[in-house]
Amino acid sequence: MVGSGLRIFNAYPAFARKGETFCCYPFEHHPIPAQLTFGGWLGGARNWHFAMMWLLVVNGFVYLAFIYLHGEWRDLVPRRGVVRDSWEMVKFYVGRRKDHPIQGKHNALQRGAYFAMPIVGIMAVVTGIAIWKPVELSWLTSALGGYVWARYWHFWAMLLLVILTVGHVFMVFAVDPYSIPSMITGSYDEDASPEARNARPLLHLRKRRPAPRTAP
Amino acid sequence: MSRGHRAEQIGIDRRKFLLATAGAAGAAFLAACDSTGPKSAKKLLQFAMDKNESLERTLFRHTSIDAAPDGARVAGGSFPSYFVSKQVPVWDDAIRGAWRLEVTGMVDQPLSLSLSDLAALPRIGYKLNHYCVEGWTAVATRTGVRLADLARLAKVQRGAEYVDFQSFDDGYHESWDIASAVHPQTLVVYAQDGHYLNPAWGAPARIYSPTKLGYKNTKYLTKIVFMPKRNGGYWSDFGYEWYGGV
Repeated sequence: MVGSGLRIFNAYPAFARKGETFCCYPFEHHPIPAQLTFGGWLGGARNWHFAMMWLLVVNGFVYLAFIYLHGEWRDLVPRRGVVRDSWEMVKFYVGRRKDHPIQGKHNALQRGAYFAMPIVGIMAVVTGIAIWKPVELSWLTSALGGYVWARYWHFWAMLLLVILTVGHVFMVFAVDPYSIPSMITGSYDEDASPEARNARPLLHLRKRRPAPRTAP
Repeated sequence: MSRGHRAEQIGIDRRKFLLATAGAAGAAFLAACDSTGPKSAKKLLQFAMDKNESLERTLFRHTSIDAAPDGARVAGGSFPSYFVSKQVPVWDDAIRGAWRLEVTGMVDQPLSLSLSDLAALPRIGYKLNHYCVEGWTAVATRTGVRLADLARLAKVQRGAEYVDFQSFDDGYHESWDIASAVHPQTLVVYAQDGHYLNPAWGAPARIYSPTKLGYKNTKYLTKIVFMPKRNGGYWSDFGYEWYGGV
């Protein structure tokens, strides 16, 4: 979706209406590097984009239905004090705090990211529909500020999703690689959790040896 | 007592097996890929395009109309000029005789209209967005005759589900579904921003509807043909969506 979207964007790598200027994008008329695009040409990219969007939508519905039915949305909704807790996590990661803040399943930064993800995803779909059908669904396009702005918000939704995804995948490998098998199997060794290891990105990756048992 | 899975007993290491499988799948994917993606996906993409067209036709309403945003300036001289001939197509009366617009095909009353005939018909003007497939929009005031009015004058027959818009721009044409063609904002345009069209914008007349992407709106119009079946179009045959709805 991202690659084909960027190829579509490159057909007109700007937001301004013809004969006008656009306030809020510093790279107007500078195309995205072709290596980051997918589809080969505008029509090919559009065909991919308009086919794969259904996969994104279906996948999104399945995900939302799953976390709703399993009640796991409760693990994602920010708790009270999320800003302070996130700040404590940042302090820990940059070494301004010695011990890992106490967390449940996810730390405060994770909660924020995983809560934002579906919201930004929905935003990507809604803004996408708005620039797909700006006449048939003009009420939607107008609600987003018109075609030019809807296209801009669509770009931002993509950018945020990419940032969240890259950050998430980096942190999986840098902080909690032990969670990778659990994504498939569902079982997780709490002794290997970042909290138990006091793990910062790329630090304390090894599981601590359990304390030697002493004879009673 | 055996320990471990049978495959492991006969010497297939699980980790190596997974790596090999992933490697083979990756290689197969890369081999089937060019810059437009795996070739086997063509059918899937066509299927999605057809399904999207049905959905778009369901969404289509004659009451959904376009309006340029408040305060939007007309693009004027910045309005792009596109044609497929090597040079700007210009109708030369000396060579081709006087320009006329033919309305033919499945009609009881074929029409042949001069520019002044068109100008004498009920005149409609809208300040509209132009939605290009590339992603840009431009605002222009379009003045002309509703295609629905021409269809009424020509007494279009039942069963005419499609319309072809033909041009003198090196064979450029695009066919449409009839519903989009008789949308109230689908016009045979002969003036833009208050002046008769200049050759860069499709003189003497072009089709224009905000409900279709730019490439569907044939410029340098010569013939409007009502048909029972669609017959593709210049860019639709090239691989863009035939429906091209907005």
